[in-house]
Amino acid sequence: MTLAVHSPVAGTTIPLGEVPDPVFAQAMVGPGVAVRPEGGRADAVAPIDGTVATLHPHAFVVAADDGRAVLVHLGIDTVKQQGEGFSLHVVQGESVRAGQPVVSWDPDAVTAAGYSPVVPVIALDATDGTLTAPGPGAAVSAGDELFTWSG
Amino acid sequence: MADDRPEKILAALGGADNVLDIEGCITRLRCELEDGSVVDEAALKKAGAHGVVRAGDVVQVIVGPEADTIASDIQDLM
Repeated sequence: MTLAVHSPVAGTTIPLGEVPDPVFAQAMVGPGVAVRPEGGRADAVAPIDGTVATLHPHAFVVAADDGRAVLVHLGIDTVKQQGEGFSLHVVQGESVRAGQPVVSWDPDAVTAAGYSPVVPVIALDATDGTLTAPGPGAAVSAGDELFTWSG
Repeated sequence: MADDRPEKILAALGGADNVLDIEGCITRLRCELEDGSVVDEAALKKAGAHGVVRAGDVVQVIVGPEADTIASDIQDLM
């Protein structure tokens, strides 16, 4: 079944290879697409229907019923901000729908603190070739389809 | 089946004495080590790591989505 993965944030798509973190850039945990966010404080939304499998202020994983899971990482090295400026709308284990607010955060504040606000959206452990994504430079709103994952 | 990854990863990092701090972060273990040069990268990969990113005495071991569980298991071993 093809899974539509929605953008957690508004912004412009960039290739994963341009994310300033080797773990994401080299797709060590899976392929995906990154979004350079635009605008100030906003809600990051769930990319798929499923269960919140992991939840940190700066990153979360939503797992679909079939086991496929999508990781959303809000900025790079933002673990060092220790949750400051991030507020959670859900708890771990909660069921969410694609497009539902998960964390509110402020990409501009992340930039001001000296971190990259880029948001990698990763199809965890997906096989190469199972993702269909638009090219880089596409403008997306939060909740828009970002890529599809066949499997 | 018992998961022996936490034990093997801890050994490859130079053992509990060499690990100052270890933290799971979604897909990776962030490890602050006494001495980053003793890390056995081959052993980490054998223990299931997808990759290892080293920056001096701070070493990130990429283990996938179970990182948080593995990190707390390693903390229990220390």
